[in-house]
Amino acid sequence: MNIAQQIVNGLVLGSGYACIALGWTILLGVARLVNFAHGQLYMLGAFATWYAMTRLGLSYPLAIIFAIVTLAALGALMQSAMMGLVMSQNLTSLMIVTLGLGYVLQGGSALIFGGNPQTLPGTLSRAKVDLGSLWFTWQDVLVLLATLALYGAVWLFTQRTRFGSVIRAVAEDPKLSELFGINARVVYLCVFVFECSAVALGAALVAPRSPILTSMGFNEVIMTFVVVVLGGIGSIGGALAAGLGLGLFIAFFGAFIAQAYTTAAAFAVLLALLVIRPAGLATK
Amino acid sequence: MTVLDSNSSRSMPPLRAAAIVIFVALGFLLPQLLGGTPVAYSTLTTIAIFAVMCYGVDIVLSYLGEVSLGHTLFWAVGGYAAANLSVKYGLNGWGTAVATIALCIAAAAFLGAVTLRTREFVFSLVTYAAAVVTYEIAFNWDAIGGSDGIVGISALKLPFGFATYVGATQEDLWPVAFALLLLTLAFIARFRRSNLGTRALMVQMNPALATSLGIDQRKVRLAVFMISAPITGLAGWLYAYQRAYVGPDMFETYFLVMMLTAVVLVGRRILLGPLISTAILIIQQNLFSLGGDWNKIVLGSVLTLVLIFWPAGLVGLFRRFRKTTA
Repeated sequence: MNIAQQIVNGLVLGSGYACIALGWTILLGVARLVNFAHGQLYMLGAFATWYAMTRLGLSYPLAIIFAIVTLAALGALMQSAMMGLVMSQNLTSLMIVTLGLGYVLQGGSALIFGGNPQTLPGTLSRAKVDLGSLWFTWQDVLVLLATLALYGAVWLFTQRTRFGSVIRAVAEDPKLSELFGINARVVYLCVFVFECSAVALGAALVAPRSPILTSMGFNEVIMTFVVVVLGGIGSIGGALAAGLGLGLFIAFFGAFIAQAYTTAAAFAVLLALLVIRPAGLATK
Repeated sequence: MTVLDSNSSRSMPPLRAAAIVIFVALGFLLPQLLGGTPVAYSTLTTIAIFAVMCYGVDIVLSYLGEVSLGHTLFWAVGGYAAANLSVKYGLNGWGTAVATIALCIAAAAFLGAVTLRTREFVFSLVTYAAAVVTYEIAFNWDAIGGSDGIVGISALKLPFGFATYVGATQEDLWPVAFALLLLTLAFIARFRRSNLGTRALMVQMNPALATSLGIDQRKVRLAVFMISAPITGLAGWLYAYQRAYVGPDMFETYFLVMMLTAVVLVGRRILLGPLISTAILIIQQNLFSLGGDWNKIVLGSVLTLVLIFWPAGLVGLFRRFRKTTA
């Protein structure tokens, strides 16, 4: 029965990875941008939720909205600051700038929220579900359902609406798309604001599972990298499959080999894949 | 500003050589000139070590134009090699330095080879992930120090056959750090004029031209990455002796942000740029510190603001200022 429990754990972990990675997948896939502050945005999303619940006394759903709005505003600020680099497609500087901004966010959060680990007071994460010898929490169910719904909605939006093709046109060539009357700046701003809101939502859903620290962003982001690259850089379906697959792999590796080296194992998978299929699994 | 127009002073080699000798002598005596206090020695030693650390990133970022986020890995490899080999096997400074160089080149070759066929940002992503993963390994693996690290690294010993140089205090370590800095500067100056250096610059400035001249961009990237690794590694090697302690804190994001900021602050492709930037940043952190979290905000903001508003660094700002006033 241990195997079945590990499959449940894997799906729980994997839906969390996929949920957090959604914003990055969109940013990379449709706008071809990289954001190394993603881990710190996740941390900030978790702390914004925590702050809203413990300090402002909001309920969990309201705290989620608070976190999303806060990070969306922050994302709009960040993207406005970086707009010149984005429009000139200066990816080298952009990568470093996002890393620098992440570092500022980490320092700022430590000032505001303090250096101690905190726990999000979720009620759902303590509500256990027992099915025979299997167990999970209602929070896990919520994460899985929310992830599936989000991925479905985003897939429909990018593939089936006119906005999706507008975003892809901008990613292909921002200058050319402006000739066709598209305001590329607004599109980039929207995509980045979406990335920040998505990671805030992901953090609010996933973070109640474990203690949160202002310094956790640096490490948390690795699983997102692995999901995005495994999934074929920007492929929405690929990222969902990669997230769940990675979750299963980590659950089994952690249970049967070594809990302490799960990140290293995920990284080994990534390296192996880069050698075999440099463009990711989803590409032909 | 580029390598090609930096040779204007070549027409007077004796004068230039004399100037270099005077600058080197002044640099070596700088802690004495600043009063010879332990604070002067330790601050300048730290600046020298950190500048060497930053030159490793400088080669990749300034000349090749790619972003390595994994140089903290090489920095830590140097520190851990020095600590483990000297404490457990009693190796002297030469032995640990050779081990550092070999391990750094091997690690860079591995990471470079794995990312050889991938897109440019995957290189940055993989180097970043490599640093985080080695942090996790260093934190959990007790055989190389674990979460506590290795305490009580004995003084740096460099035997010269007839005598042994011992770097026990900050004053004794200064000549070693200064020599390492000079060697690094000489290496970078040589690299700028080397075949590989010009090829790297061509790959950055005009990839199409480079390809049409038969340059394999991927091989150039691999080669530049491999020679950059031991530079940062040797800085970590000396840092271990300076602190007499090595632990997982060598993987802190601080070092990565420090390296990137030092490369861009004064201006890219300027030989002394990273050294001057490092001096400015270390002096702020050591003598005008605002506390850990505020220092993070300052360092990250400097990095961000320079890249957004003055991509050519302080030198570019100075040139623009002079142009408007003249």
